[in-house]
Amino acid sequence: MPARKLYFESIRVGDELPALAKAPVDRVQLSRYAGASGDYNPVHVDELYAKSVGMPSVYAPGMLVMGMLGQLISDWARGGQLRRYNVRFIKMVWPGDTVVCKGRVSDRHGSGGRYFVEIDLWAENQKGELVMKGGSQIQLFYSLEDENRQRSGQSPIVVEVPRESLVVPAPQASTSEAATSSAPSAPEEEDDEDEDSDEPRTGASSKKTAPREKPAAKTASLPVAKKAKK
Amino acid sequence: MLDKNAIGRASPPTLNEVEKGAIRRFAEAIGDYNPIYYDEEYARASGYPTIVAPPTFPASFHSAADLRELLGVGIKSLLHAEQGFDYERPIFAGDRIYVSTRVSDVFERPNMSGKMDIAVIEDEGRDEEGNLVFRARRTLVVRAAKENV
Repeated sequence: MPARKLYFESIRVGDELPALAKAPVDRVQLSRYAGASGDYNPVHVDELYAKSVGMPSVYAPGMLVMGMLGQLISDWARGGQLRRYNVRFIKMVWPGDTVVCKGRVSDRHGSGGRYFVEIDLWAENQKGELVMKGGSQIQLFYSLEDENRQRSGQSPIVVEVPRESLVVPAPQASTSEAATSSAPSAPEEEDDEDEDSDEPRTGASSKKTAPREKPAAKTASLPVAKKAKK
Repeated sequence: MLDKNAIGRASPPTLNEVEKGAIRRFAEAIGDYNPIYYDEEYARASGYPTIVAPPTFPASFHSAADLRELLGVGIKSLLHAEQGFDYERPIFAGDRIYVSTRVSDVFERPNMSGKMDIAVIEDEGRDEEGNLVFRARRTLVVRAAKENV
């Protein structure tokens, strides 16, 4: 039997989705994804080609990583319907990298018998560096009773639930960083606007600044950080 | 810089038939073994009419779009910067979805070495009755080849 479902009534703003650590990415997976998606861009599957255009090796397509983060949502929101899912690609994922997917409920609201939760999502590599961040909106039944009613053709349970982000004094966009103390691993690069490098063919990943709260563990990131400040 | 006239250029709708095998292979490639992507009975017991497609499955859809044609330039490289989906409903095995692609925006964004060209490409999937199924939005950093095609 399918696993238990998730209902709106049991979700609270701030709830964390159980982190999902994926198996390390390998070249076989990159080939499989190329075949399954129809994206045969050689930078993802042809080592010689990738090196010929200045990359250290093949790397994972962003959409593969977005698929992994999508699994986090689907695993958590069983019985829910995904309404919106968007991401920004921040750092490249290489063979051998382990992607860890994380998320947190940022808002919940309901009106007219339709109920939604908003999720902040992000993915990190094994060094704790942010590789992707995004968000999602999921529509849920209010409760098991609500689901049973609707499935038998009755009207939904109607509870008016205002957006909590409007009720809570801290508006999401500007002061959320101050409010993330409960989740130290939250993506802090939000305000950096460090867009994907303009030079994707010359080892773009090494140009990124590591998330600020992380110790600069990689020696490679030190000169980069300096360079970025010039 | 990219041609602003590209904005609004679109490809005609292309039929995509959603096959169970394609869903299975796509989910396997992601390493996602949720039975709703593989097992008909499990999917039905979960409240779906049949096997469901994973959220990013529209990435596997074909459209008649040739980006070089839509953007009107030869492309040296593309960097996928952002991706978004809006779903009207889940996508199921057996769906027949018509996908069309259009250039929704073209602009320049400043960066450390000057400016970079950004193209925003939107895909739209509709069923045979014309009902919207999903919209997808790609933001691409485009480096055009020196000579225009």
